[in-house]
Amino acid sequence: MDLYKLSAYELRNLFLDKKVKATEITEYFLKRIEKNNKKLGAFLTVLSERAMQKAKELDQKNAENKPMGRLAGVPIAIKDNTHIEKEITTCASQFLTNYKAPFSATAVKLLEEQDAILVGKTNLDEFAMGSSNENSSFYPSYNPWNLDCTPGGSSGGSASAVASRISLIATGSDTGGSIRQPSAFCGVVGFKPTYGRVSRYGLVAFGSSLDQIGPIATNVKDIGLTMEVLGKHCPHDAMSLEFPAESYIENLREDLSEITVGVPWHFLESLNKEAHDNFVQSIETMKSLGANIIDVNLDILKSSIAVYYILATAEASTNLARFDGIRYGVRSKDAKNLEEVYDLSRDQGFGYEVKKRILLGTYVLSSGFQEAFYKKAQKVRTLVIQSFDAAFSNCDCICMPTAPITSFKLGTFQDPIGMYLQDIFTISANLAGLPAISVPSGFDKDNKPFGLQFLGPQLHDAPVVSYAHAYEQATKFSSKIPPLFDKEF
Amino acid sequence: MKNWEAVIGLEVHVQLNTITKLFSSAPNRFGDDPNTNITVVDTGQPGALPVVNREAIKKAAQFGFAVNASVEKFSKFDRKSYFYPDSPRNFQITQFEHPIVRGGTVTITVEDEKKEFQIDRAHLEDDAGMLKHFSSFAGVDYNRAGTALIEIVSTPCMTSAKEAIAYVKTLKAILEYIDASDCNMEQGSLRVDANISVRPVGEKKLRNKTEIKNMNSFTFLEMAINAEIERQIRLYEEYESDEPDNVVIPGTYRFNPNTKQTELMRMKERAEDYRYFPEPDLPPIVLTQEFLDTVKATLPELPQQRFARYVEQLGLSEYAATNLILDKQTADYFEEALTYSNNTKALCNWITVEFPGRLKELGHTLSSIDIPAVHLANLVKMIDEGKITGRIAKQVADDMVQTPGMDPVDIVKNNPDYQPLSDASAIEPLVEKVLQDNPQSIEDYLAGKKKALAFLVGQIMKLTKGKASPDIVNELIQKKLDSKN
Amino acid sequence: MEKFNYQNLEDLQKLARIQLKDEEKKDLLESLQKIVEYIDQLDSIDTKDVACCNHVSQVQNENVVRDDVVGELLSRETLLENAPDQIGGMIRTPPIMQD
Repeated sequence: MDLYKLSAYELRNLFLDKKVKATEITEYFLKRIEKNNKKLGAFLTVLSERAMQKAKELDQKNAENKPMGRLAGVPIAIKDNTHIEKEITTCASQFLTNYKAPFSATAVKLLEEQDAILVGKTNLDEFAMGSSNENSSFYPSYNPWNLDCTPGGSSGGSASAVASRISLIATGSDTGGSIRQPSAFCGVVGFKPTYGRVSRYGLVAFGSSLDQIGPIATNVKDIGLTMEVLGKHCPHDAMSLEFPAESYIENLREDLSEITVGVPWHFLESLNKEAHDNFVQSIETMKSLGANIIDVNLDILKSSIAVYYILATAEASTNLARFDGIRYGVRSKDAKNLEEVYDLSRDQGFGYEVKKRILLGTYVLSSGFQEAFYKKAQKVRTLVIQSFDAAFSNCDCICMPTAPITSFKLGTFQDPIGMYLQDIFTISANLAGLPAISVPSGFDKDNKPFGLQFLGPQLHDAPVVSYAHAYEQATKFSSKIPPLFDKEF
Repeated sequence: MKNWEAVIGLEVHVQLNTITKLFSSAPNRFGDDPNTNITVVDTGQPGALPVVNREAIKKAAQFGFAVNASVEKFSKFDRKSYFYPDSPRNFQITQFEHPIVRGGTVTITVEDEKKEFQIDRAHLEDDAGMLKHFSSFAGVDYNRAGTALIEIVSTPCMTSAKEAIAYVKTLKAILEYIDASDCNMEQGSLRVDANISVRPVGEKKLRNKTEIKNMNSFTFLEMAINAEIERQIRLYEEYESDEPDNVVIPGTYRFNPNTKQTELMRMKERAEDYRYFPEPDLPPIVLTQEFLDTVKATLPELPQQRFARYVEQLGLSEYAATNLILDKQTADYFEEALTYSNNTKALCNWITVEFPGRLKELGHTLSSIDIPAVHLANLVKMIDEGKITGRIAKQVADDMVQTPGMDPVDIVKNNPDYQPLSDASAIEPLVEKVLQDNPQSIEDYLAGKKKALAFLVGQIMKLTKGKASPDIVNELIQKKLDSKN
Repeated sequence: MEKFNYQNLEDLQKLARIQLKDEEKKDLLESLQKIVEYIDQLDSIDTKDVACCNHVSQVQNENVVRDDVVGELLSRETLLENAPDQIGGMIRTPPIMQD
């Protein structure tokens, strides 16, 4: 049985039908992980014992014909900035190499309650700051489609694991595109929910008003399935929305008839030819599915990177202040007084990019500069939201490419702005708290994946996923498996 | 010699007596083993998030109404960044831009003059943990971290230590009356920081101010403020020709209870940059008119109202009333006693003067010792009913303090020396003896000197060791004197 | 707009408690200068009468509160498991100048 070719939905049914045992599934994927992780750098920690223990329990439960969870038997990887109680959460940082999570994230609890098998913690850019996984302080992660290239970031490990089918589903976190961009680079599906739709309790905070946990999977239906488990109100997260859970699977569309899709053509002018052609192709596909395509003005998004790097770093500079060597994490052995505990521990623990962003964030909040930077960015954020509101009054969803280019070789971006500009199409959904999904839309001449984005108004998570489903069914790019990993062992 | 005036503003931090902390559901308790009342929120664990305690909002709103302030319909939280080990996140969550309470007045009589002190604002914020200092290390205990605080900031409207004390005592009373805090200065649930500057009388501009911290009793607060005022005046007088801004430099001072002086802790070279910005993890607080109306309507009697009641309805002096209302427990005790005896003046005297005097030596107050109010009332009743004399009553009071919980009625019953002598036939020979021994007094009395009677009565009381019933003695003497007439 | 300079960087380092090795400092300063120049583009956008977006959620998200009831605690054991240094149930640090 080529289990790795299955969707999570199919695998679960196989398990429930008792055609395969949970322990078999788990051994299978653990073996795949063992064989391939070195090449991919996808996992930082593999939870073999824990996973096998859960599998045994599931087999017992299934044998007794007890009711099983919605993700029963499905291997799921968790991005290593999200807590699993008693397991190490490193955030890919030297600061937290020994930090044992004192509690499980709500998202993790929900997945375990639904009988998912947590197979390991995935690699990321340190503290989720980056777009290529090159900022991991342990080792980089690689793109299953081309091992010289990045899987994207910051959820690079998760996207790499899913694309190579060493895990069927993975969680990521998205602050400026960190789920969607790696999903696009790796040819898989990644979804960022409406801000507040999924609890952030247990997610190590980066940009508090921007962060969301979301699923990465090999197909849209599995995204829907996972969102039905994750999209719940949480009393521990005061920004968590108190809205009834949405139903995704029931509402998956096969076409886009009577759907109006807004495209910000002017904003997309600077796309390179290949990306542009791929995008135009996708639009044609949507037309053939019955969609009505209109032009929308989102020119304000040209400023979205500036807004993001002010707000996200400001919030991050305070969120990371707690890493001070006092209560947990690394404490420099050379520290002789309090000042040195702070300075030396943070120097030892934090990588260069993290330090840079903390300093930038401190700058834009500091006295004398807060008005010009932080407050200004807050106001432009309002303009971004207003622009989207205006656009959505004429369309059901907005389409854009996920990234301006396809996956690049490690070490490509040396200047700071160059890397930041990669987020140009994803950042705005975080600024406006919108649900946004990236679905594979083809390949470039080097056989590296492109991704297409659907964005919707807040709380339109299920519709956005359903539009992506229609597109996926018509194109089937997400079912392509990277050749190097398209064999069992 | 110039005349100087002081300008004092106070920042009072009060721990609310909510069951749990402000942003976490850990118990709000003092004195437990280190790090046993904590959650992931209070210890700044990565991934932890704050959620506001509704009771804290209610108590803050109640306080606002109790001082006639504006309880803001819209308020929100902000992050205040600074590094210190007692801060679990190295930022405090406070209300900088939009506090929940604005304005307010505290009214109290100070040295016979009615004063109104203005509050600038009051807001909610979380408390830091505690540092314990040892010679070669420090220990951090997060039990206190996250406790709900209300910070009450006055305008710089006080001009003396006495006014500052009166203000804080009144605030304390208000907070106790609305059951918002136990206001224990020694345990740190009420903390006062004073901002002090001085200037020559008539000068309009405010001079540099210093901040004084670490005064954990009213005595120390008064000493510290006076010491600092004196220190600043001394400096200005010594460096008369220097620019005032260079004479007294802004800084933070600690009060040293041993030297009774203020000592510099740190200079404020430049204001700390707290980089306040809106707390993204918490939505704003929006209070409905309905909620506000309910909170206002359910306010209990406040100190000023009680004061008016004591003066107007119970006939107490303003002085006695002021002292009573500022000490809620004593005032409650007084009112309980009033349900058994209606002699307000006598009760007031026993409760505020006689008993406190006796208890002080034992290191107690009426609240810390188990003498129920009904016993005190019984004592007063016995005096009023002539069952014991005033003099005997004082001895009974001594006994009540030595054996708390024993009813004075029983004390008197068990002690024959306390039994009043009301048998006229036993007293008569004594009256006769005193009259025989004091012929001059008889003459004086007959000559119209009333004092002589008192003297004679006194002599008889001496003979009976104070036990004779004053009424009977008076009656007997009167009879005998009249017969001599 | 003032150019971002070395003094700015040192001030920020103090505020943020970030130490930099000398090689890092030069690079970082250049980086920050470029970034600050880039984000300065916002200055040209007209935001007159535009309110700050303090909370992004468009649905009624206010007054999220919890009842005043004791909930799940963190055990001291778990806290101290991750602590670099501890003594007598407290987290131990080097001696601190008293405040």
